[in-house]
This record gives sequence, C-alpha cells and structure tokens, in this order.
Amino acid sequence: MRFNEKEMVSLSRQPSEMAAELGMRGPKKGDVVKKRLVKLVVNFLFYFRTDEEEPIGALLLEQCRVEREDTQAFSIVFLDEAERKYLFECNSEEQCGEWVDSIIKASYEFMRKNLIFYRTEIHRLTGKDPLEQYGISDETRFQVNNGLQLMPRDTSSL
Amino acid sequence: MKLHEKLLTHYLSCTSPVDKQGYLYKKKERNATYHRRWFVLKANLLFYQERPADRHLLGVIVLEGCAVRRSESGAQFAFSLVFEGPGLKTYRFAAGDGQAQESWVKALLSASYCYLSLLVRDLGRQYEEAKQQQGSGESCHGSFIQQTTTNFFFPVQGPTAEVREGRSFSAGPSIPNRVVTKKSPKLWPRRNAHVTPLNGPAPSYGEWPLVGFDPLEDFSKLHDHYGQEVKKAREEWLRSRRAEEAHVDEDLIDLG
Repeated sequence: MRFNEKEMVSLSRQPSEMAAELGMRGPKKGDVVKKRLVKLVVNFLFYFRTDEEEPIGALLLEQCRVEREDTQAFSIVFLDEAERKYLFECNSEEQCGEWVDSIIKASYEFMRKNLIFYRTEIHRLTGKDPLEQYGISDETRFQVNNGLQLMPRDTSSL
Repeated sequence: MKLHEKLLTHYLSCTSPVDKQGYLYKKKERNATYHRRWFVLKANLLFYQERPADRHLLGVIVLEGCAVRRSESGAQFAFSLVFEGPGLKTYRFAAGDGQAQESWVKALLSASYCYLSLLVRDLGRQYEEAKQQQGSGESCHGSFIQQTTTNFFFPVQGPTAEVREGRSFSAGPSIPNRVVTKKSPKLWPRRNAHVTPLNGPAPSYGEWPLVGFDPLEDFSKLHDHYGQEVKKAREEWLRSRRAEEAHVDEDLIDLG
C-alpha cells in the first residue's frame, strides 16, 4: 500500500512534547529491548534509532490498548492481538505515567468523542450548537451519532 | 520508514464511522492522466482503492501539514492537497461535479488532527464557560478536569502536545477566491523542520513565534475567515452553475 512517506517523515520531525529515549521491544518472539527515540506526533507513535533523522517506523494509535506493565514500563497492544504487543521501558514511574496518559488521549477517536460530548453539552446548556458559527455543523465527522443531529437541518445555506 | 499498514487497514474497517467516501479522479504526476479511484476518508487518513468492493487498498494519504486548495486551472472541479515543505508533494484530484468538489473540499478542510485538536480545546473552553454561567459548581474555575481513564463522558484536557503540534503547521485550508486574489493567511509561521531539534522537548510557550497569541481566540477568527471564503466559493459555484445549466457537459478528461 502506497503512502506519503516523505510527508510522514516531515511530520515525524515536528516538535513534540512527548519525545524521549525509551527501551522498546517489538512484538515478535525473540525481540529484545532496544534503545529508541520514541516520539508522539498527532495520532502516530514514531520511533527512531538514536541520532537518526528518519524514523524506523510509525504506529497508528487508534483502536489500541495501553497498559501499565510495571512501575516503569507500559505496553501497547494493537488489533487485540498479543502478537502485536509492544513494550516500552521508561526511566521513571512518573515518565511512564505521562506516556500512558498521553497515548490514551492521542487517538483521533478519543478527541472526536470529547468533541461530541462538548457539542452535546454546550447545546444542552445554552440551546446553541457551537459548530454553527464555524459552518461545520453538517460535517459527518462531528455528528452526535448515526447522523442524528442536534438542530433541524438548515438547508438555506446550501 | 515502515508504516505498519495493518494498523491502518484495521482502523479503516473497524466500527467507527467513515467520514466521507466516493469516487474521485486522482492525477498521476508522471503522465498527467487522471484515474478514477474510490476514496474513503476516516479521521486524518484518506484511503484509496480502485473500487468500493475491493479488498486491496492502493494507498493512503495522511492528512497532516497540508493545505486544501480549489484549483483554478486544469481539470474541471479540481482541487488539491498541498503539503508544504521542501520536496513534499501536491496531490491533485478532480470531482465529478461542483457539489462533490465542494463537499470533498469541506470534508478535507476539517480532517486534520491539528484542526480537531484546536476545535476540541475551543469547545472545552466554551463548555466550561457555559457551565459557570449555569451556576454549576462542578468544575474548578478555568481548569479542565483531568482524567487518566478513557471515559469520554468527562471533560478532559487534551495534552498540550496537541496544541504545540497545531502551532507548528500552517493553518490548514487555503481556498483561493476567484474574485479576490488574497491568499488565506497562515496563522502560524512554519518552523523549519531541519532546525527544530529532533528529540528535544517543544520550546516553552514564550519561545513560539507568536508570543501572547491565544490559539483559542484566533481559532474563532480562523473559522470566521474560512467560513466567509467557503460561503463566497459556494455562492460563486451556485452562480456559475446556474449560468452553465444549459451548457452541454464537456468530457471531464481530455483523452486527446
């Protein structure tokens, strides 16, 4: 499958608050812990060999499960398959907690849910749809559920 | 760089809704021909394949750091995704009609993670204000309730990394207006990716180019501005459509 690799590499170079050298172990049997620069950018987790400019890889952080493994380690399981479990070793308990928190909140779906929550609540509290002013009330991605909308469809602007 | 494809294809086929799908013509850069492809937009990912029923995906475009532009010249109903940076691509598309073009442009404009991140922050602020106005005592003044669980029914402050990411990209959509030649403003000057330290922490707030800049306040301005552009573009399209109604449709693609 083709993808915009150069653009992804460029994305991986954007500044990020969550970027650190961690021990990383891949999911395959026989994989060992290796020192990697792990960097969270939007909903992707990039990992680099230390001092290399191009990341080795990028993991999409959607539909994954993050778990504390130890006081200083956490894991990410993808596709609900134990064969796709990545382990990360941190340098402190605090750092580990920060990473777990950040990764959970990094997914697009998580943000979308928050958005829908806020939209619903603001409408409930104020009677207004906060997305109206931005002209994006009808965008599919912001709908409350199954296309059920907060306001009667305004077609006058179409 | 390895993109773990299975993670993307799995996400595509999982239960969360698709944000938009349909046929579009995609321009092949090498020979400037257009090929019809079935596109599926989900979150900040634009997948494409030959036909909707195909199991094999041809490719995916990650929609971060790109501007969406309606094209003035070339194919009819054309638009493009312009990735800004040295050596980065521009993807060119053509829709079947003006309505599809407008619909896709709109959907792609709001597709990026950065956009959503800013929107969530803005709405979070509005939510807190609305609650205070209702006299609710649930939250601390001016602060979000931090949650470490994934329970999305509680208001959660997004990690500040998200806002920082938004600041490092160009503001996003740039829709050239046919009548006025002004270009949509880039809200944040782009930091040079080659200068930015790869593994350092993001610079502290004060070091960012626009000191004292309130992303939340400007997000509203950003939307006002683009809202106007979208409105104008829509009105123009409606006008031109009415004018062309009797006109016989030309071939979309010049195969000659």
